[in-house]
Amino acid sequence: MATFNFKKREIECKIVYYGPGRCGKTTNLEYIFKTYKKQIAGEMVSIDTEGDRTLFFDFLPMGLGKIKGCDVKVQLYTVPGQVQYSSTRKLVLKEVDGLVFVADSLEVRREKNMLSLKDLHENLKSYGTSIFKVPLVMQYNKRDLEEEGIPLMSIERMDQDLNRQLKAPHFSASAIKGQGVPQTIMECLKRTLLNLQKQLKWAK
Amino acid sequence: MNNDEVLMDPKDQIISLLKEADLYQNQGLLNEAKERFKKATDIIKNSPDIKNGQALIASIVKKVVDLNQKINQINQATSKPTVSDNKQNLIKKLFAGGDEKGDFTSALEGAIALAKFGQFDRAMKEFEQLLDVEAVRVAAAKNIVRCHIETEALEAAALCFEKWAGDDRFSIPQLDKIRFFLEGRFRKLGFERELYQREETISDEDMETLEMESASAETPQTSRDVAPSHDPEPVLEEMELPEEDEFLDINSVGIQLPSGPLKGRMVEFDVSFQTGNSINLIIASKESALLNELSKGTKLTDMQFFSPIAILNGSGVVTAKTQIKSGPKEGDYSLDITILTT
Repeated sequence: MATFNFKKREIECKIVYYGPGRCGKTTNLEYIFKTYKKQIAGEMVSIDTEGDRTLFFDFLPMGLGKIKGCDVKVQLYTVPGQVQYSSTRKLVLKEVDGLVFVADSLEVRREKNMLSLKDLHENLKSYGTSIFKVPLVMQYNKRDLEEEGIPLMSIERMDQDLNRQLKAPHFSASAIKGQGVPQTIMECLKRTLLNLQKQLKWAK
Repeated sequence: MNNDEVLMDPKDQIISLLKEADLYQNQGLLNEAKERFKKATDIIKNSPDIKNGQALIASIVKKVVDLNQKINQINQATSKPTVSDNKQNLIKKLFAGGDEKGDFTSALEGAIALAKFGQFDRAMKEFEQLLDVEAVRVAAAKNIVRCHIETEALEAAALCFEKWAGDDRFSIPQLDKIRFFLEGRFRKLGFERELYQREETISDEDMETLEMESASAETPQTSRDVAPSHDPEPVLEEMELPEEDEFLDINSVGIQLPSGPLKGRMVEFDVSFQTGNSINLIIASKESALLNELSKGTKLTDMQFFSPIAILNGSGVVTAKTQIKSGPKEGDYSLDITILTT
């Protein structure tokens, strides 16, 4: 949940990158860390295994400067994607303000995408919130593999599988090349901050 | 196989599959890589025209053996290993709640966050420090024994409690609450262990005072006669996230099967996890008679819910049934049930 510190005129919010294992969540954050050094408010911390799979989470704090006289800070997190880390995903998801769902475009990962989205939906439900109420952006990652002749799902198919009801904005991406990563995070930030602005008005 | 694969020349199919397998392996998609290697091997075996087919199969077999080793390593790795002090500090900072809470509540939340991330040694040290604080003593104690239970050190949990029973910091009512909690957990785990109970003692001086009181004065009851009071506990005493609906902690359920060859029979299952009014069970794949009767949408009108403090009757509905595709429970089934009434 976003924190508003009226005394310091500071807003801090939390965005979580979700998705199945090996879909590119950490790669997204690594690209953001490398590219937006001026906005990065600290180090990127990864709690991962020796095999470079995210074990607990990745964490990246960012400062977005002032908006309407308030310092806006964002904490980006990723969750571990493997099935056995379900309880950790739930912990990291607590009090999330915005979501990026990173889907793997590989044909062989179709079912994993859907199971991961279902897992997200259930974890949000367990916190008394709905996937329809949290600002959400879909990213269809690994689109660059099409050039290598690897079977990918079409964007239409992925949208049908994952986004038919949610109708969230979606972006094609190749996180390893940095394509689509900035657009994804910008849209997510925009939606998250608009949502927070609404909440702030209600709080007043 | 799709149509494109059927039309492709076997050599081209093999090249394509091996390319995919290598890519999936580089991506860390080990099961997918293994599956592609297997397909390639099958095509080679069925294609006598392929030159050096046997050598190619031998080379693929070697890759699959390597893959299997990596897959086993991942499956056997503990899901919550101990991390460095710095990372533990970060976990505390990020997951322990805001600054507006009091010191002790924040400290308790921080320790709980560490325990939830499997950093039990560090968490226990922090809980130990909180035993000195009256307001959070019981919560800290329950979480210490919980840490022992999570690390399967049940005897250590019992010994911990017995050490506190001799510790003046703990009052009888506080010990009762902890004992009740611990006994419930032991019962669920089938661990038979009697726990020491400190008796209320009355000094000689107090005895004299009592004799001087009127005959109508009540004598204090011992803790054995009195169920633990239900005074509200700090919300964060349990490691589980606080549930808004205040659902009971359900350890296991009994389900009377509505149909089939086991109709009318009450079968008991352990609850793997619970969120609010939704519980999850794991059913072994060999239990086909059970699995056939429990599908998504099946209404269960006769259920029993076993918690540490009560057995309740109620009903539920199966909301999901999925086969587990990897890990130690591969092949078994995960069943979600929503509790409708209790």
